[in-house]
Amino acid sequence: MVYAEFKAPKGVIKVELELTGERISRISISGDFFMYPEEAIDKLEQALIGTEADKESLMATVRSFYESTCVQTPMVEPEHWVEAILRAAGG
Amino acid sequence: MADEWRLLPLRIDDAFTSMAIDEALLRLNAEGKSPNTARFWRWQPSTVSIGCFQRVEREVDLEVARKYGTDVVRRITGGGSVFHDYDGELTYSVVCGQGDVPDDIIESYKLICGGLVQGFAQLGLRAEFKPVNDVQVNGKKISGSAQTRRWGSMLQHGTVLISPDVRLMFELLKVSPEKISDKFIASVFERVTTVERELGRKPSFEQVREAMVKGFEKSLGVKLSEGEFTDEELALAAEFKPKYASDDWLRKR
Repeated sequence: MVYAEFKAPKGVIKVELELTGERISRISISGDFFMYPEEAIDKLEQALIGTEADKESLMATVRSFYESTCVQTPMVEPEHWVEAILRAAGG
Repeated sequence: MADEWRLLPLRIDDAFTSMAIDEALLRLNAEGKSPNTARFWRWQPSTVSIGCFQRVEREVDLEVARKYGTDVVRRITGGGSVFHDYDGELTYSVVCGQGDVPDDIIESYKLICGGLVQGFAQLGLRAEFKPVNDVQVNGKKISGSAQTRRWGSMLQHGTVLISPDVRLMFELLKVSPEKISDKFIASVFERVTTVERELGRKPSFEQVREAMVKGFEKSLGVKLSEGEFTDEELALAAEFKPKYASDDWLRKR
């Protein structure tokens, strides 16, 4: 598992992940952000498993997560999750 | 005539009981069995609470917590880790229908934190809301809140820092280096303040509670009327308590 964190405008996003080849095979996201509804965090992690750890693929996955769940994350945007994940993946 | 909400008596409980009470009030409010409610309470023993997305080992020095007999609990609300000092903090909870606050999350924080701002004014302090979830005096945090919306109702709970032991807080919490460097300030003393520090004296918990009650009445436009817990609320809280005290819950993430 590799680990990194990234400070979004509201909240530090902490990412622990494992790569198999180019793809994320395990991921755990934690931190002091807000997400409504809270259970959506599990869906985000599930959606990221199998995603290639490059900016474009991650962005597509995170954006589609936002669209499909109507999740709200005050002052945390899709690119902030992506940045945190890229930092961990680039370790 | 202003709507009437219930005001519960000041309670002092352990963390697990308090977290269980908040969840019981939220669930029963959603089921139409509990009225909209405000309450104020204290933590005994002192406790570190972590946000629902946090990982306890990353945020809390559990050795230090054990050494001082400080409890550690995971909240059902997001946000960060907080040291709740028995002698230095008054905590509030507000539970109401989701329709009683703005849909917009930051606006709803603003409404309820607005009660704190008005409450600090009652104490003679000029406070302001700092989005998403803080209240500041003189540019320093004096209160932090966290909100969840579930089952059609909303719970917001938060701190009023009266005179917490900041040194112990620093020992207990693992502060992210990035968070500190981002603010260009190495010391929490310059980012956090307390009612005691700003007023130059320590008001009683009851005085702070009365001020905040008036503040919430103004901000929410409601009358807070003294009431009691129902048997159903206390029974449901007793049912939830073991979850909050469990290691599984603490290490959920």
